Formats: sequence, structure tokens, C-alpha cells
Amino acid sequence: MAEAKRRSISFPRYAEYGCALKYIMEQALDVKYVMPPALTKHTMELGTKYSPDYVCTPFKTVLGSMIEALEAGADTLIMTHGLCRLGYYGELLEQILRDLGYQFDFINLSDYDMDKKKEYIKIIRRINPKVNPARCLAQFMEGLRMVEYLDEITGEYYKGCGFDPTGTEYKRAYQDFLTAMYTAHCRSDVETGYRAAKGRLQSIPLDKPAQPLRVGVVGEFYTAMDAFSNLELEQKLADMRVEVHRWMTMTNQFLHYGNGQKNLRIKIQDLCQYDMGPTATANIWYARQCAERGFDGLIHIKSAGCTPEIDVMPVLQNISADYKIPVLYLTYDVQTSDVGLQTRLEAFYDMIAMRKKVF
Amino acid sequence: METNNITVGLPRAMLYYRYRILWGVFFQELGVKTVVSGPTDRDILEQGSALAIDEACLSLKIYLGHVHALLGQCDYILLPRVSNFGHHRNMCTRFEAMPDLTKNVFRDTQQKFLTCNIDVLAGEDEEDAFLSLGRQLGFGPKAAKRAYKLAKKADQAQHKARVQKQEELSRREGLKILLAGHSYVVEDPYIGKVVTDYLKAAGVTPLRADLVEREHALKRSRELSPTCKWEISREILGGIDLRKGQVDGIILIGAFPCGPDAMVNELITRRVRGVPILNLVLDSQTGTAGVETRLESFIDIIRLKEGML
Repeated sequence: MAEAKRRSISFPRYAEYGCALKYIMEQALDVKYVMPPALTKHTMELGTKYSPDYVCTPFKTVLGSMIEALEAGADTLIMTHGLCRLGYYGELLEQILRDLGYQFDFINLSDYDMDKKKEYIKIIRRINPKVNPARCLAQFMEGLRMVEYLDEITGEYYKGCGFDPTGTEYKRAYQDFLTAMYTAHCRSDVETGYRAAKGRLQSIPLDKPAQPLRVGVVGEFYTAMDAFSNLELEQKLADMRVEVHRWMTMTNQFLHYGNGQKNLRIKIQDLCQYDMGPTATANIWYARQCAERGFDGLIHIKSAGCTPEIDVMPVLQNISADYKIPVLYLTYDVQTSDVGLQTRLEAFYDMIAMRKKVF
Repeated sequence: METNNITVGLPRAMLYYRYRILWGVFFQELGVKTVVSGPTDRDILEQGSALAIDEACLSLKIYLGHVHALLGQCDYILLPRVSNFGHHRNMCTRFEAMPDLTKNVFRDTQQKFLTCNIDVLAGEDEEDAFLSLGRQLGFGPKAAKRAYKLAKKADQAQHKARVQKQEELSRREGLKILLAGHSYVVEDPYIGKVVTDYLKAAGVTPLRADLVEREHALKRSRELSPTCKWEISREILGGIDLRKGQVDGIILIGAFPCGPDAMVNELITRRVRGVPILNLVLDSQTGTAGVETRLESFIDIIRLKEGML
């Protein structure tokens, strides 16, 4: 039955990672990928309407995005597992969507024991039984490579963007890169797109002072990375001529540290003895790293109700006190306003800029 | 090895309600004195709220209040960490963070803390945790193991007796309402006990969803929610599935804003049919009138539905 029709699969919008997922689904697994519409206020309204009250905000975003994906023609939804509440998203999302009357096939990775390699083969077979898991490995790796490129270019972009004298060249190079990734069909598309972007970013002469203001961004996995969810915080900072640094990316969290972050914990032994949550170790380590490297400020991003990140805050407060580094704590809810954020960021900017002159 | 005059402080919050016998007997067998913080009251909650991040759950605020109450009262304060008991048997991430979080909050005090870690997926089970507790207090593995075995036995016997009591209650005549919530919420004298007291006074028999045979409840929770991964939520889910036919109503009691409850309780209200359900979220309110009004109307609805009014 399932064999007869090619699946139209979709996954909620999440930063710009949709391009890599699309690549993996279409090139490696030979199914159709339905790109959910870009996140908008309407997405949030949809999600909020049908979500439980005090679930964390990404749940609402994801639910809204799933509804939009189903309405855009997806017949199969995929949802990831996770170490915090994310691991339970799938089941509740499915229940809510079914109660609303939507019809679809739901692949919930929480149904599988993701520590076992065998399970991955089961999932691939379920997505497309005709695919030979061994044969699609190359394309799968190319998709992961795309994630690495994406994170690398994005990181570089936010570090330099604020100092582009033309004001548009940097942005255009980045947009062209994203377009190349979203439209890539083969390995050479990915490689060419990456090289072109890298070359262009490097060729633009930057008007950067010797000691620019540097801000480190730490925080919750979804909201810190998804520009829509954090109201383009990084772009806003860059536009104020700030060098923005963020460690938390898919690449760092999963691809490079897939087997636990034991080595990151070594330098923060005095602050925490154990893992305090899925992204806690990395965030604490990076916050201290920024502090030690003399950054001018830290911004901690989380969605309302994110338990692990709330628990990290006392540690960040201690880092802030020890290294005299200002930390701006931001909680994003569905109602967080763009102007409100702009005001807070400007105040934060003024403060760190003044400190830099004084000290 | 009769020893020294060590006193260990146990905050009367969070896991205390689950582990009090286990900890109590363990320390008693080792000859270690324990001191438990007093029952939660307004002062403890206010103190805890001042120490906690605003957005933290009510239970954490209470917990920090209890730790604060124990400062200087003992040599060590016990801060357990429980990450998981195996695959799909996790605790809320807050229980993973608790010892480090607490130490960071209280780092400017001179207080010393004891931790033990249950993280089965990383190879540390409950017994390892207790052996390490013993080691930190200077007891060899033999003494600690003996104390742990005795404590475990006492704990199991007590839990069995409590489950037995629930069985008896479930056969009682009259209105019965199932309380589904974490033990540290339901049993807490300042927040959850109001509910039990009110129900009893109103002539209703309160039953507890979490007081069930644990292994059985874990299996049974799969009927209601196949991917739920929180140990305590699964026990409660199992308990609901077991008792839903025997009770006249279910009250889901949660502390605001409990992470697992926010999702699991939503799922319960969507999947458990045929029994009236009240979703009661407790916050740090000063009066009990609000809760009582809701309970009163819930009981009235049940009585009306059953033709008793």
C-alpha cells in the first residue's frame, strides 16, 4: 500500500536546516519533501491556539508549522526524539493533529531506541521501503556536510555582517548561499555553493575596528538558532556593529560531539559536576570560554518554560559575577514583541559599549 | 564501624517524598544522624522564591527554600541527582540539574553538600549511588551495601503497605476521586495537602494514582502513552489506567509550571474518556479558597452526574 505512492514528507521549519533535510529526503531517500511555509505570526497563532498553555514555545511553533505543512500537501510528518520535553513532542503533536481531524502518517523517532543503529535502518525502510540503506549513505553524508557548511557560513556571516561597508554585499552573499543550498541536487551543487559563498564573504573588505564589540550567544537549542523564533536577534546585533559568536549549532552539538560532551565538562568541573541538561554543558562551557576570551557581553536565549535553560541560569549568573561580564537573559514567548526586543538590545549595546570605553 | 557525629540534612521537598524511607534507614544503619527540614510553610516558599529563577517551577522554589532552612543545621545537605532509570525511564531534566543548580545558588555559603547520582544509561544504578554516598561519608562498600540492602527492604515493604492501603480504599463505598500528581506536590503540606484534606472533609475518598505497584504501572502506562519517558509520569499514567474504572473522577494536580505535567496532563485529558477530569494547577497563592471552590464545584458536578444531588 505504502509502496504504491511516493511519500510527501515534511518536518517543521527549523532555522535554515530545512535545506539539508530536503536534500537527504530527496537525494538519499528518494521521497518528496514538502518544505513548510516560512514561519510567520500566523504559524504562531495556529500553534498557540491548539497547544496546552504552559508547554515550551517551540512546541507551539512546531505545531503551527506542522499544520501549515499538512495544508501545503504533506502526507507524512516526521518528528524527532529529544532529551528534554522535546522527546514527548511527537506523541502529543500527533494526538492534537488527529483530534483536529488531519489525516497523515506520523513517523515519531521517539518510538525508536535511537541509541541502536538497527533502528535507523527500520526508520529508513519505513520512509521508503525501496531504498537500500547502504546505497543512500553517500547522499546522506552529503546532507550532513551541507549542515556543516550551513553552520560555518552562518557563523562567519554574523561575525562580519555588521562591518560590511557596502551594507548589502554581505547579506546578498549569504542569501545567495542559502538559495544554492535550498536548490542543491547533487554533491557538486553543495560544494560549488559553499565555495562561492566562502570566497565572496572573504573577498568583501571589512571595515572592522581593532577591538570590535563581541557578544556570545548561548541558549536553548531551538530558539537560539531559529532566527524567526528569536526575532532575528543575531541580525539585530550585527546591525549595531557587533561581532556575534554562537557555538550552539547542529554541527557542534550533534555532528562533532555526537558521543557526549565529556571533554567540554573538564574545564567547567568547578561550576558543575554533572550534565545539567541536554545543552547545559555546552552552554556553560561556551559562556565561560567567552568570558575568558574577554567578550563584552553574553546573551542567553530561551523559550518560555524551557526547564533545562532555566536551570543553567544560576551558573551563568555566577560566571557573570566571576568574570564581570554582563549577561542579558531573554525569554521568548509567543507574545514577545519585536520593538521590545530592539529596545532591550539597544540598552544592552549602550551599556557594553560604555564599559568598553571605561575599562 | 560506628562513627563520628556526622549529621546529614534532608530537604523535605521533591524526591524526599519518594526516598524518605530509603534515605532514612540507610543513614540510620550507618549511624549517621539526619535532620529533615520542617514542613513547607509560607516562609520556606518565600525564601525559595527569592532564591530561584522566577520562571522555575513551584516545586523547585519550595525545594530551595528547604535547602535554605537547613543551612548551618547539619554537616552536609543531601542533593541527589536522578537522570534516568534506563531507556524511556527518565526524570525531568530538573532532577539532573538539581545538585549543581543548588550548589551554584548557595555557593557563597559555607555549607557542604553530598550528592549521589542515579544514571542507569551511564552505568550508575541506585545501588552505586548509595555506595558512593557511603564512600563520601567515609564508609566502606561493605557497610554501605549492607545499609542499602536493609533500606531497600524497608522501602519496598513500606511502598507495598501503601499500595495495599490504596487497594482497600478503592473498594470503599461512596464517592472516590483519584489524585494524579507527583508525590512532592500531592503530599506537600503547604500546596497539595489542601486538596486531600478538602476531599476527606467533603466525604470523598481520595485515591492516589502514583501509589501503585511500580513495575506494573510502568508497563501499563504504555496503554495510555507509548512514548512517555518520565518515570514518575509513567507511574501516574499506569495508576490512572488501573484505577479509572473504580473512581468517580480524576484530579490532575500539578505545580506551575511543571514541564512534564504541561504535556502529559494534556494528553490524559485527550485520551482518558468517560471519567470527569479536573486539571488543577497549583501556584504560590496565599489562600486556599480558590482551590476549594474548584474542588467543590467538581464534586457537585460528579454528584449531579451520578444523580446524587
